[in-house]
Amino acid sequence: MKRVVVDPITRIEGHLRVEVNVDEATGKVEDALSSGTAWRGIELVAKDRDPRDVWAFVQRICGVCTSTHALASLRSVEDALNIEIPKNANYIRNIMHSCLDAHDHIVHFYHLHALDWVSPVEALKADPAKTAALQETVLKTYNLSGLEPAETQSTTSAYPKEFPKGNATYYAAIQGKVKKIVESGQLGIFAAQWWDHPDYQLLPPEVHLMGVAHYLNILDKQRDIVTPHVVFGGKNPHPHYIVGGMPCSISMDDMNAPVNSARLAVVDESIALAKDLVNHFYLPDVLAIGQIYAKAGMVDGGGLSKKRVLAYGDYPDEPYTGIKNGDYFKKCLVRANGVVEDFGLGVDKAKFLPLEGEDLMNPDFLSEEVEHSWYEYPDGKKTIHPSEGITKPNYTGPKTGTKEHWEYLDETKKYSWIKSPTFKGKACEVGPLAKYIIVYTKVKQGIISNPTWAEQMIVKQIDTVSSVLGVPAHVWMCSTVGRTACRCLDAQVAANMSQYFFNKLVTNIKGGDTAVANTKNFDPNTWPKEAKGVGLVDAPRGGLGHWCDIKDGKTSNYQCIVPTTWNACPKTIANEHGAYEANMIDTKVKIADKPLEILKGIHSFDPCLACATHLYNKKGEKIISVNTDAMCK
Amino acid sequence: MKEKTNSLWKLFQERKLSRRTFMKTCVALTAILGLPPTLLNKVVDAADTKELPTVIWLHGHECTGCDESFIRSTSPFASDVVLNMIALEYDDTLAAAAGAPFEAHLHKILTEKKGQYVLAVEGGVPLDDNGTYCMVGGRPFVDVLKECAEGAAFIIEYGSCAAWGGVQAAKPNPTNTVSVSSVISGKKIIKVPGCPPIPEVMTGVIMHYALFGEIPPLDVEGRPKQFYGNRIHDTCYRRPFFDSGLFVEKFDDEGAKAGWCLYKMGCRGPVTYNSCGNLRWWNGLSYPIQSGSGCIGCSEKGFWDNDNFHQRLPQVQVANTITTADTIGTIAGLTAFGAVVAHGGVTLAKHKYDTIQLEKKYQEELDAKKAAKEQANNEGGNH
Repeated sequence: MKRVVVDPITRIEGHLRVEVNVDEATGKVEDALSSGTAWRGIELVAKDRDPRDVWAFVQRICGVCTSTHALASLRSVEDALNIEIPKNANYIRNIMHSCLDAHDHIVHFYHLHALDWVSPVEALKADPAKTAALQETVLKTYNLSGLEPAETQSTTSAYPKEFPKGNATYYAAIQGKVKKIVESGQLGIFAAQWWDHPDYQLLPPEVHLMGVAHYLNILDKQRDIVTPHVVFGGKNPHPHYIVGGMPCSISMDDMNAPVNSARLAVVDESIALAKDLVNHFYLPDVLAIGQIYAKAGMVDGGGLSKKRVLAYGDYPDEPYTGIKNGDYFKKCLVRANGVVEDFGLGVDKAKFLPLEGEDLMNPDFLSEEVEHSWYEYPDGKKTIHPSEGITKPNYTGPKTGTKEHWEYLDETKKYSWIKSPTFKGKACEVGPLAKYIIVYTKVKQGIISNPTWAEQMIVKQIDTVSSVLGVPAHVWMCSTVGRTACRCLDAQVAANMSQYFFNKLVTNIKGGDTAVANTKNFDPNTWPKEAKGVGLVDAPRGGLGHWCDIKDGKTSNYQCIVPTTWNACPKTIANEHGAYEANMIDTKVKIADKPLEILKGIHSFDPCLACATHLYNKKGEKIISVNTDAMCK
Repeated sequence: MKEKTNSLWKLFQERKLSRRTFMKTCVALTAILGLPPTLLNKVVDAADTKELPTVIWLHGHECTGCDESFIRSTSPFASDVVLNMIALEYDDTLAAAAGAPFEAHLHKILTEKKGQYVLAVEGGVPLDDNGTYCMVGGRPFVDVLKECAEGAAFIIEYGSCAAWGGVQAAKPNPTNTVSVSSVISGKKIIKVPGCPPIPEVMTGVIMHYALFGEIPPLDVEGRPKQFYGNRIHDTCYRRPFFDSGLFVEKFDDEGAKAGWCLYKMGCRGPVTYNSCGNLRWWNGLSYPIQSGSGCIGCSEKGFWDNDNFHQRLPQVQVANTITTADTIGTIAGLTAFGAVVAHGGVTLAKHKYDTIQLEKKYQEELDAKKAAKEQANNEGGNH
């Protein structure tokens, strides 16, 4: 048995460490721990602020899924104050949310995940002419366009403009550049990876060259997918919003106006680009690689997804009156809210558990535990609902080494700055895979009887991929490859979502409605003395919830449960592993010293650690200092 | 090990790009760097001969928004920066490697490139409890930072967290997070604040070093003058409306639709030094004010505690007048622009107001005509 530490885990957001016990003879991972190694205390900073500003503070929880925390915050404050935003603001926010979804997924695959699958070293062995031919085959074989409904067609874009460059000269040029870097000995971002790992031999050299070429090509194109943030919010990362809607007023009378025809044209073009990049690069690449892995029988890493997944639902088609009153869930285009258990046994045997409205405020449904986290609850409490969230740090250090110099962490005690959120006391996986499992189950079991275009598209995508791969949905979905593939399918729906809401925005403006902000309750004098709200977003990494208490015009309590908290959490009181740990335990490691499979599995969740770790003290007491000197305790 | 000493011109030659293309790039770079055209020769010389710097990029208490902004740069492209203009030997967001081999590589670079590498830091430095609130590779970030700073040629504080402490340092600063320059001394430190900074500002600093082999001219705070020399207020396209006393009074009002000044909505443009007004985001596309929201001052020290952000700044003088926005607002409110006309320098704005009114009237007439015509058509159809 060998204990293997990977710290830092790179190509993620934030600071993450994993430790695994590997049986070197069989490659089986006997036990695994995932540890968030930093916390920043943002929720404490958000306390006692003007609720109209809090979106800006909590937006800085994460700059990768930028704007999802802002959106969750706005939704929670608007839920507390009963503010219904105008139609245009709803459409614009949905465009911003969906273009971020597509962007985040694309950047994740090419720049944070691709190097687990493809290697610049292998790319040197490729024949550029064969790579060009392969590109053509891949585009034809894995063409998933045509699933889009009429509602998401563009009325302006004449033809698809972005395709991968597919000729031998291009691939030879890219290969030449890679050769220069490798020969220089200064590999830069490609340095020190386990390039000799056998998994890199699984794909033919031409796939590696194609992957590296797309890495570079997409790096230069990705910014233009989030352009809607710059038009509607002024910048990216961290675009601007206002409570009650959007600040970007619409006027067709003025070039100084934030939104007019010229600015809408910029958004329109960006949406067309997102669709092209998903349909002609991302989807074919992921499916081509995925099929090779599936054929080789490498469909491990499913972990917790087979057992239990959770999502909140998103993309309100029209403005809603509230979230805790349940109206939000009726308006969502992707009604993924709920929990599905045992999908790993097949969609027929899966069990659906509802989650909506007042459930979100109920500690019997959602709570957080700190059994294995460096915090403690008062009065021997074991679990606390996020809206009651109270946390005192209790940093106990590692099992071996010192508090400032770790050797190994202690999985039997406390080992992470991440808490363990639970649904009815049980751990859940969240993310695009979870969302897809839930929508698929709800539609196939008839729980959703009138699927929206988006829900229909999700089911069509899953069925199409199942037939391409030749295995049933639950087999390929519940795996590392499936998690990566579902994120890609989610990007396709997201790109279409942008187009759908862009079309609605234009139609609504045409009808004479240009309102973007409801300022009726903008003045704190109009607010009740006390109010509570919840804000939900199905963010790129999964279900995100913000709970906000307002008292005397200030935030008196602010708490988030973030997707990566669900996935990266330490064990629960019931000794159940979180999704990262379950994934690692469900993954076979070929070489203990070079756990590429672990890196790949963890990356399939798209970790975002800055999101995951947080601290809050409800009473606003000065946080008790953590004494590292044992005598001071 | 073979040294990577490519010049920009050599890279162009390798790509079979012409001298003409190279010169055009130099012209563009001169403009991007905010240099006068007379300095073009210097840019060309620099791009012809200088070596590429090794960069180590560390992450402390941050959100990775600065990394994200960095890769949004299109002039130069992020790919060109990362693969050709710098040797990015350690960056845990983009690096392929992880864990022990990655840390070993860092130590190799620290030794081999001692005194030569550029240290870029994203994120603040938490100090409480011996820095254990941010652990990297099993040790406190502050220790890693100190170790890497020692042999650095100079240090770049990327973003407001590294430069000022950032959002986690806002009241009550739960982890006692501070800026990089609070814990490192005796090194040249360039501050590139912003939450995040504009992409081309981030790459512009590296570009300047790659071209000229020296760090850009800095102001007293350590910020590159070319990017932080002006207040947003002084370069804002809405400035004429401030000077004319035309303000957005409420989000989404007529003034908001016409793009008037956001000062009364709490805009921090008058106290914020940054390139949002002139360089803008996405090479001139927009910045928060152009999208209808006041600036929150994200590149300024301590801006998080200068909230609430919808509260207007006190007593900013309107140019060429003895009055403040307050008095203009009051008068305009009382007499509906009559008073504004009396106030010098607002003829243009008044003209604009009149035009809007005229257009409204014209539109109403047009609508009435259209309605009458439709009615006539309908009646015609009935017979």
